[in-house]
Amino acid sequence: MATPLISTAEVGHQFGPYDVTIPSARANAYATAVGGDESPDYGDSLAPIMVVAAALTELIEDLGLFSGGLQTVHSGQEVSWVRQVKIGEKVDATGRLAANSIRRGNHFATVAVSYTDSSGTEIGTSSTTIIVSGEAS
Amino acid sequence: MTSNNAKRAVGDALTGFERQITQDTVDAYAEASGDHNPIHLDESYASTTQFGTRIAHGMLSLALVTEMLATNFPNTWHNGGKLKVRFSAPVFPGETVVTYGEITAINETDAGLIATCTIGCKKPDGTDAVAGRATVPLE
Repeated sequence: MATPLISTAEVGHQFGPYDVTIPSARANAYATAVGGDESPDYGDSLAPIMVVAAALTELIEDLGLFSGGLQTVHSGQEVSWVRQVKIGEKVDATGRLAANSIRRGNHFATVAVSYTDSSGTEIGTSSTTIIVSGEAS
Repeated sequence: MTSNNAKRAVGDALTGFERQITQDTVDAYAEASGDHNPIHLDESYASTTQFGTRIAHGMLSLALVTEMLATNFPNTWHNGGKLKVRFSAPVFPGETVVTYGEITAINETDAGLIATCTIGCKKPDGTDAVAGRATVPLE
């Protein structure tokens, strides 16, 4: 089995850019999962947290966290957002490994992500902290 | 609304809501996020993990919290809002969670009035699935 990137990546490692454009089918699935009577009407826009989730999925895959035997806990999340995003609007997410340490056999990793629109303007940021156990020593 | 935001005060509770998380909810969220990790979807796999059964995505619980923020601050949450949370406990399909929040401070800044709120999402036993803090422009 290939060594997952989480085991070898150094602080500063770059991820992406990922195209995290959200098509209407995924926006509809989000509304099914999260929406309710009390939810705001987003119209043709998205909840920004959905873009963050899409980027996180890409990061998890690149870090090799779906590798057999690993158990990953999403322990913390930060998000800031400047403006709403339209359904189908092109958004790129670029990540950087901000921390990666081992304590008591567990990896503690933080990935900071910047979201940019088609003009290259930053429209949001996020930071995800995960704890990974079960790596071969 | 902005006009309502101007009337906000420290100690105000945010209007939260209750939501049952079903496996259908989790399946739909997997489609939305693209996160098809078997710990959320495959019971036989999930039974081998530390949780012993499928769990909802942590980001699903956080999405509910952001729905609450978007409802309470409809014009400003998505335009300058920030949050920082910890995921404290998994939510299992079948559980009903409740979102909550309270304004703990309102500060005048160069960008205008900013409210600081405690925010979270509680499990049926009263423990936090997600908890943290958000800052939201009020104007």
